[in-house]
Amino acid sequence: MHYAAGIDIGSTQTKAVLMDAARAIVARTVIPTGAHVVRAGRRALEAIVAEASIQAEDVRCVIGTGYGRYKVEAGDAQVTEISCHARGAQFIFPGTRTVIDMGGQDTKAIRTGPEGNVVDFCMNDKCAAGTGRFLAAAADVVGLSLEEIGEVSLRGTKPIRLTSVCTVFVESDIMNYLAQRKAVEDILAGVHQAIASRTIGLVRRVGVEEEVTFTGGVARNIGMVRALEDKLGTKLNVGPESHFMGALGAALFAVDRLLAAQPQEVGRMDATPVWSDGLEGR
Amino acid sequence: MNASWSRPAAGAEEVIRECRTLVELLPSQALARARQSRPDLRGLGVFPVYAPQEIIHAAGLMPIGLFGAGAKLETTRADSRFQSFICSIARSTLELFLSGDLSRESGFEGAVFSSICDVARNLCSVAGRNAPGVYVEYLHLPQNAATPAAREYTRREFGRFRSNLAQHLGRVIDEDDIRRSIVLYNRVRALIADLYDQRRERPGSIRTADLFAVVLAATCMMPEDFVPKAEDLLCSLREGAPVERDSVNVVLEGAFCEAPPIDLIDAIESAGCQIVEDDLAIGWRIFRGEVPVEGDPVAALADAYLASSAYTSVRHDSARPRTRGLLDRVEASGADAVILASAKFCEPALFDYVLFRRALDERGIPHLKIEFEEKMWTFERLRNEIETFTESLLFD
Amino acid sequence: MPTAAPQPAPAANDYGSVVHDLSREVMTEWMTQLQDAARTGAPSAYMMVSGNCVEILRCFDILPVFPEINALQLAIRKKALPYILKAEEIGYASDNCAYVKADIGYTLSEGVGEHGSTPKPSLIVCNFVGCNVYIKWFEHCAEMLDVPLVMIDVPFVRQGEAVSTGDLHYVMAQLRGLITACEELTGVKFDIDRLREIVGHSARAEAGWSRAKELCKSRPAPFDCYFDSINMMGPINALRGTKQAADFFDAAVAHYEMMASRGLGATDEEQFRVVFEGPPPYPYYRNFRNLFAAWKAVCVQSTYSTVGGTWEFGFRHDPDRPLESIAEQMLLHNLCNRTMQERYRQIRRYVEEWEADALVIHSVKSCRLFSAGQGDMREYFTKELGVPTLMVESDLEDPRYYAEAQMKNRIDAFFESLQYKRLRGSAAEAGPVLKEGVSDALRRGH
Repeated sequence: MHYAAGIDIGSTQTKAVLMDAARAIVARTVIPTGAHVVRAGRRALEAIVAEASIQAEDVRCVIGTGYGRYKVEAGDAQVTEISCHARGAQFIFPGTRTVIDMGGQDTKAIRTGPEGNVVDFCMNDKCAAGTGRFLAAAADVVGLSLEEIGEVSLRGTKPIRLTSVCTVFVESDIMNYLAQRKAVEDILAGVHQAIASRTIGLVRRVGVEEEVTFTGGVARNIGMVRALEDKLGTKLNVGPESHFMGALGAALFAVDRLLAAQPQEVGRMDATPVWSDGLEGR
Repeated sequence: MNASWSRPAAGAEEVIRECRTLVELLPSQALARARQSRPDLRGLGVFPVYAPQEIIHAAGLMPIGLFGAGAKLETTRADSRFQSFICSIARSTLELFLSGDLSRESGFEGAVFSSICDVARNLCSVAGRNAPGVYVEYLHLPQNAATPAAREYTRREFGRFRSNLAQHLGRVIDEDDIRRSIVLYNRVRALIADLYDQRRERPGSIRTADLFAVVLAATCMMPEDFVPKAEDLLCSLREGAPVERDSVNVVLEGAFCEAPPIDLIDAIESAGCQIVEDDLAIGWRIFRGEVPVEGDPVAALADAYLASSAYTSVRHDSARPRTRGLLDRVEASGADAVILASAKFCEPALFDYVLFRRALDERGIPHLKIEFEEKMWTFERLRNEIETFTESLLFD
Repeated sequence: MPTAAPQPAPAANDYGSVVHDLSREVMTEWMTQLQDAARTGAPSAYMMVSGNCVEILRCFDILPVFPEINALQLAIRKKALPYILKAEEIGYASDNCAYVKADIGYTLSEGVGEHGSTPKPSLIVCNFVGCNVYIKWFEHCAEMLDVPLVMIDVPFVRQGEAVSTGDLHYVMAQLRGLITACEELTGVKFDIDRLREIVGHSARAEAGWSRAKELCKSRPAPFDCYFDSINMMGPINALRGTKQAADFFDAAVAHYEMMASRGLGATDEEQFRVVFEGPPPYPYYRNFRNLFAAWKAVCVQSTYSTVGGTWEFGFRHDPDRPLESIAEQMLLHNLCNRTMQERYRQIRRYVEEWEADALVIHSVKSCRLFSAGQGDMREYFTKELGVPTLMVESDLEDPRYYAEAQMKNRIDAFFESLQYKRLRGSAAEAGPVLKEGVSDALRRGH
C-alpha cells in the first residue's frame, strides 16, 4: 500500500496528515514548530508514520505547505497554504465556494472552484490589523482565552466602537473603555464586530459565493463565527478540525501526484474521509 | 486646567444645537432636510478643499460639503478599493457613493473634486466608475500663480465647470444667477469671518467645537437658510459677557480637508487650549473680502481664487509661501502656539509639517503635532498629549 | 495543481545583459557629468521624471538632475534606509513618500553639493505632472538648498483623449517662462533650431523604445518589460534629447530583434505572460524578480515603464512643432497625468494586445498616485474582465515594507491557481481527479 502525506509548517504549529491512495485519512498529528523548522517537519512525518503503523518507505509522496513549506526535507513539492486550504475545505465541505481562513498573522479570503481550486484570493494587507493577533491581544487585556472572548462577546448588547483595529493600540483602547466602566461583553462584542467588518471587506474583494467555510485557529471562536454570519447573512461551515485544512489539502495534492504516477493503484474513488464523521455542516 | 466658557445666550444655544444636529447627518439626509421646503431641490457634493459653490448654487442645486462620513457610516465596501494607508475621508466618501448615499435616487446630481492630492484625484476617477449616471467633475485648480497665463487658465477652468454642469443639467446657468449667488456667499463668508473675529476678540464667547459645527453646517445648508441663523448667533454672542480663561491661545493648522471629529476639538479646548485661528473647512471661507459682482461673475470668482484667497496646504503659490501664511496667521491672531493637526495619512499636511516646524522653531513658537482620523471615539491619548503641552507652556 | 517546486532563479547577469551593459555605459557617463558638475558648479537643474521637458534644459546645456533617480539608486543599492531615517528625524512622517525622504536625507547628508555625487542645482524646475508630491518635494528642496523654483503647472487630463487649447496655451506660456529663466541663468539666447534638433533625438529614442516594447508581443518576449525595462527607462527619461540615447535605443532594438527572430526570450521557457502595474520594490529588486522568474513568468508590458511617456501608443516629439509637442507630451502622453480609468484602459490594451495571462499589481505605500484605488482596479479586472489579478504590497524605496515570506506565499498561490487553470483547460476530459505532475515522476522512496 502506498501513502501520501501533507505537512503544514506554520509559525507556531506543524500539522501533518497521512492519506492512502483512496484519500482516506490514515493518521494526523499536530506538534509545536519551535525554533527548528526542519526538525518539526521531520518529527511530524515520523509521528504520522508511527501512528499509522506503516513503513516510512510506503509514504511515496510528501507535499509541504505553510510558511515553512520549503523546509520539509522529505517534500516532493511545495504548495502554498492558500491552495491547500481551498482544497482541504472543499474536501470536508464539498459545497464550499468561499473560504475564510483566519490565523494568527493573516486573514485570507479564497474563492474556490468545484474541485477545490483557487479561483481568486485576497489577504490582509501589510498591517496586521484585524487578524487573529488582534483578538489575542484583546483577549490578553481582559485575561481570557481566545475561545472565551468569543463566548463572552455573544452576551454584549451594546457593542462599543473601536477607533481602529490596530494591534498596537487595542490594549490602550480597551483599557480606556474599561476605565469608562463599559461592560466587558460590550467591549468584546465591539472587538469582534470590528474584525468581522474588516474581514467582510476582504471577502467582498473575491466575491461571496455560498457555501462559505471558515477555517484557521480563529474558527474556534464562536463570537467570530456569529459576527461573520451576521454580516454575511449566511451560515458558515465550521469543522472542529479546521486547523488541519492546510495539511489536509497538501495531503490531497500528494495523493494526486501518487495517482498520476501510478494510475493502476487508484482505489475507492468515492471514499468518505475517516475524520469527516462528526463534522457539523452547519 | 481651568476650562470654563460663558454659557451662550439662549438664542445662540439654539442655533448651535441645530448646527450640531445638522453635521451629524449624512449628505443625503442633509439634502432631504433642505428639500422639506424645496421639494425639487437637488444636490451636488463638493469634495474639499475648494470648488466654486456659487456656480453650483446658481445652477439651482444645493452645494453640499463632503467631509467624509465620520462616525455616521461604517466603511465596508470602500475598503476593498482603497488600501489601509489611504486617508479616511477618501474611503468614507467612496463608501457614500457605493452605498447609494450620493446617488441620483438620493437627490444628487453628482460631485466635484479638485487637484488637492494624489488620493483625491484617483478617488474622483474611482467614484466616477462606481457611480454610473452621476456627474463627476474634476477641477484642476492652478498651482502656478506666478505666470500671467494663470488668470486666463483659471477663468477657463471655472468656465468649463459652468458649461459642463449646465450641459449635464440641460439648462443654462445664468450670469445674473451667479451674481446673486456670489452676493449670498459673500454674506455667508462675511458672517463666518465675523464669528471668527468674535471668537478671537472675545475669548470664551464661543467654543471652537461649536464654531466648527456652525461652519460645517454652512456646507450642508442652503446659504439662504444659513444667513439668518448666523445673524442670530452673532447677535446673541455679542450680548454675552466674555470670560477670561487661563489657557494657551493656539492656531490649529492642518485639518483643511478631512474634518476632525468635533469631539477632538472639544478635547483640545478642554485640555487648556483656546483655539484662536484655524484652517477648518477653509475652502468654504477661502476669500478674504468680497468677490465683486461687476462684470463677468465667473471671471470674478476665478480672479478671486488666484489673487485673494487664503493659503492652503494643497496649493503652490510662490508669492505667498505657506510658511509665511502660517506665521502671519499666528501673528494676526496673537496666538502663543500652534497645534499642527493632520488627518492620518494626509500627505499634504504631513509634508507641510516639516517646513512649518522649521519656521516655527526658528522663531521660537511652540508647536505640537497630532494626528486624527474621522472614526475616532476615544481621545484620551491625545488629551494627555495636549494637556502636557499646555502645562509646559503655562508653567514655563 | 502545481507540477513542481519552483525552479531556482537564474544566476546574476542572466537577465538581458547586453542591453543592461549598454545602458550602464550611457547612464554612467551622465552620472560622471553630475559628479563633475557638483565640483565645477556647471549649470544644472532639478527636474521630475514624469512628463518632463528635459529638451528645454538641453537647449541651454543645463545638466538635468532627477532626484527620483537619485532615490531609486539609493534603494537599489540598499543604501536608502539611513537617509529615510535621517529625514524622519527632522519631521517627515512614516506615511510620507519614501522617495522624498531618501532624497532629502541624502541632501542633508551632503550628498548634494561640492562634496557629494550630485550638484547643487542652479534651478529647480517643478514639472508638476500628476504627482502632487512633486510640488512638496521640490518646495522642500528649494527651501533647504535655497535655490529658485520654477513651477510648470500641467493641468491634469480631465476631458478624455483631447487636450484643450486652453490647457495647451497655459503649459506653453509656462514653458516660455522656463526658457526665459534658462536664458537668464546661462546668458545663452534661446535657439529654436537647436531645440528642433534635440527634439529630433527624442523622437528617435521614443521610436526605439516603442519598437522594443512592440517586440514583447513575440513569444517568448525578448526582455522583461518590467524588470529589464529600467535599463531603458534611464535613457528614455533622463537622457532623452541626446544623440547617445537615440543611438542606445537603435542598438537595443537591434539586439532584441535578433533575439525575437531567433526565438530567444527573457527566460528559457516562458510559461506565463503578465502585465505589471505599479513601481517595483527597488530595495529588493532581484529578490522580487526571482519570485516571478521561478515560475518562468515574464512581464510583457508594464505601466511603470510609461511614467515618462506612453510612447508605444504612437506619440512622438515633433521637430516641426518642438514646443507644442513638448507641452502635449507633458499633458497627455504619460501615465502620471491620466486618470485611473485611463490607466485601466491602458492595462486592458496591454492584456489584450500583448496577450497576457494575468495582471500583477505591486501596490507601493509611498506612491499614492499609483496605489490609491488599486483595489478598484483589481475589482475591475477580476470581476468585469475576468483577468486573473494578483495584488501584492510593499514599497518602492523603504525596505521596511518588504516581507519576503508573505510576498512569496501570495505569488506562489497565484501561479498555482494559474497553472491549475491552464492544466484544466488543456485536459478538460481528464475527469475529476486532477492529473498533474505526470512528467515529474515519483522519484523517491524512504
